[in-house]
Amino acid sequence: MDRRTIWINFILRKPDPMTFKAFILALALSFGVPWLLIIVVPYGKMRNLEAVHFEMDSDGRDEVYVPRRSGRITTGSAVYGANGCYVCHTQLIRASYAGSELGRPDWAGFRIKDENGVTINTARETTPYDYVGESFAHVGIMRVGPDLSNVAGRIRGYLEDPLTKADTPENWLYLHLYNSSLKTRTFNNVTGCPSQAHLFEERVVRGQGSPEAVPGISKEGVEILPTGDARALVSYLLSLRKDDAVPYSINYSREKKKAE
Amino acid sequence: MGSDSDSQTKLHDDMELRARIDRSLRHPVMFFFASGAAWLAVALILGFISSYQSHDTRFLSGVGFLNYGRVYPAHLNVLIYGWGCQAAFGLIVWLMARLSRKECTCPGVILTAGHIWNFGVLAGMLGILWGYGSGKPWMEFPSAIWPLFLVSYFFITVWSFIQFRCSEPGKTYVAQWYLLAALFWFPWVYLTAHLFVFVFNGHPVMAAGVNAWFKYALIFLFFTPVALGTSYYLAPKVTGRPVYSYPLALFGFWALAIIGPWAGMQKLAGGPLPQFMPYVGAAATVLILIPALAVGVNILMTLRGHESQVVASPSLRFTIAGIASFLILGLVGMGLNTPAALKMTQFSLTGYGFEILAIYGFFSMCAFGGIYFIVPRVTRREWLSRRFIGWHFWLTIYGIATVVVCSIMGGLFHGAAQEAYNSAWQDAAKISYAYTVGTTVAWGFILFGSLFFLLHLLLMWARLGRRSQHPTLLQGEHHGESPHGPEDDLDKLHTAEA
Ligand code: HEC
Repeated sequence: MDRRTIWINFILRKPDPMTFKAFILALALSFGVPWLLIIVVPYGKMRNLEAVHFEMDSDGRDEVYVPRRSGRITTGSAVYGANGCYVCHTQLIRASYAGSELGRPDWAGFRIKDENGVTINTARETTPYDYVGESFAHVGIMRVGPDLSNVAGRIRGYLEDPLTKADTPENWLYLHLYNSSLKTRTFNNVTGCPSQAHLFEERVVRGQGSPEAVPGISKEGVEILPTGDARALVSYLLSLRKDDAVPYSINYSREKKKAE
Repeated sequence: MGSDSDSQTKLHDDMELRARIDRSLRHPVMFFFASGAAWLAVALILGFISSYQSHDTRFLSGVGFLNYGRVYPAHLNVLIYGWGCQAAFGLIVWLMARLSRKECTCPGVILTAGHIWNFGVLAGMLGILWGYGSGKPWMEFPSAIWPLFLVSYFFITVWSFIQFRCSEPGKTYVAQWYLLAALFWFPWVYLTAHLFVFVFNGHPVMAAGVNAWFKYALIFLFFTPVALGTSYYLAPKVTGRPVYSYPLALFGFWALAIIGPWAGMQKLAGGPLPQFMPYVGAAATVLILIPALAVGVNILMTLRGHESQVVASPSLRFTIAGIASFLILGLVGMGLNTPAALKMTQFSLTGYGFEILAIYGFFSMCAFGGIYFIVPRVTRREWLSRRFIGWHFWLTIYGIATVVVCSIMGGLFHGAAQEAYNSAWQDAAKISYAYTVGTTVAWGFILFGSLFFLLHLLLMWARLGRRSQHPTLLQGEHHGESPHGPEDDLDKLHTAEA
């Protein structure tokens, strides 16, 4: 037999216990290596992320960075998932080598005036600390709607528009979720944000009406009350503002500067 | 004379054995195919609704549980677990029994486990629609379902493994490598992903990374090997000639095994996790073209010179379409995952096009090929209507091509507009409108086509198929020789080759 036939015979033969073992071993190896390298080891490493510090020579102060976030994050995040908001909305500001959203106005951060009246741009990319409090980062599938990483900041901006029917960010969001064409600041058309009316309850107005009812929805004798889910969701959405100052070592924004 | 009658009896024993295997598996296999096809219809209806809503959010918006954000995940999960996995189980169970030449000794257990699986899909789908979805792509079924799936998976497939181990030593077929590998990969992938996402308490970004990896692992390490195993069985079997090249088959197999497990994390490119992970994921997806080419060339060369059979045999037609989709999947995967393209495709409609191409264009077409071959054997009846098969084929082909082209093209324009950060966001949102309308129409076609398939399959299960020696062909009259090839060909050829 020439070498080729031996080789082919070797392949074709039903593996006796030995070569069957070799087959399984090779499978285990070819799968196990990537499994360890891109799943198990990074998972273990990221589980115990070290705290990052502001440092004197680059940040001008010396302290631990504590990501700040408040609101009903765990419940809200679950409601966000259960209603499939992640299908159309992302929550990821990519580094500039991978995407351009750092340049899009009001997505990655805002132009604000600091205490000296100087305009600064708070735009920065997402850090691992931005999802604090959640068990799963809702990175998202598609961007049918805008990225929500900094939506809480944008809504505060919308409220400054005199035509806006809502007085508080919460009410703006309730209007938006109930029926996104009710609020004024929107490009709403048929392809807008789908109504989440199932997160609200309709009730006949008794007496003065409930203080909890969402103002701005006019319906004869009926008031619209957000359910617990809607409250948690809105509280979660209002915790989405990821443009706080982070230590120089994890800040990759375009305009980052060392402290003088 | 003596040896002649010897081989006669051998042939007879052979036929008997095959008939016994088929009989032992009739109910489990038909159960998986029929309930799979029924779930497919459900998945397509949900796909139609969600696609319609993506260009008109008011569609059914009064019905809370039919909200886009719930229908879309329900659509994909039912497609994957209701149809995809069950079709795969039917194929694995039958092919492994035939290739190991062992009867199934416990169809009852398989059937029970299959019922549990179906219950899981039903509960999962209702869970998503009623607002208990987990919110993790492709794992949206409420988290109580996955352990159930794993247990029922074990009782469905363990017998195939045992059959393989107990079969007489001699030859293994290429198809068996793929099916064994799928049996081996699925539980590992599925368990890993669910443990890391649902059970361990890790970093949220890493959980999302594991989730992204899971999608691709399920495609490349479960649906792909099952589809390829089926094709590597059908192509030689129906044409009656051996696989074109065994070294090439071997190369294609190990290329998939080595490249496949790395893919997936490119969904998080630019995100806050170790940078090499998304890059490796993108690179692996680009490289999938290598096994795709190896398999594509091998199968097409096996079928070369048998064009008339390819045209006439429903099984081969679907198989060819599936293999062609695999090649396209490899090319598209390469095109969409280069760094420049990834920026635009990461969060646009393209991802959906890629997934549908993999699960429907590639896997499901190969699975249909297998089903059109297997069902007449286990029911001992021939398909009733060549017209039904023809309609199923053409409606599906045109529909899938439209969905994939619309999602991928629309997604590229959508993505390019998103990247143009100086123009208003609205511009990007408007661009995809026409493409989503196209997708909706196409889902309608596919749904229509697969209703023919479902109806046909149910009639066959009820044993209302034609009683005939001649298989149902798509073209020409019935010849003396079956285009499915004589039953024992494959074995003879292998023995000759080895
Ligand atoms: C069909 C895809 C889709 C789904 C699902 C979806 N949205 Fe939207 N969303 C949009 C679109 C498109 C816009 C922009 C148009 C508008 O403002 O109505 C938008 C806008 C928004 C905005 C305003 C953002 C801004 O800065 O102007 C918020 C907040 C929002 N969505 C929250 C949600 C929440 C919460 C969910 C889940 C309950 C959700 N969306 C589900 C498509 C979607």
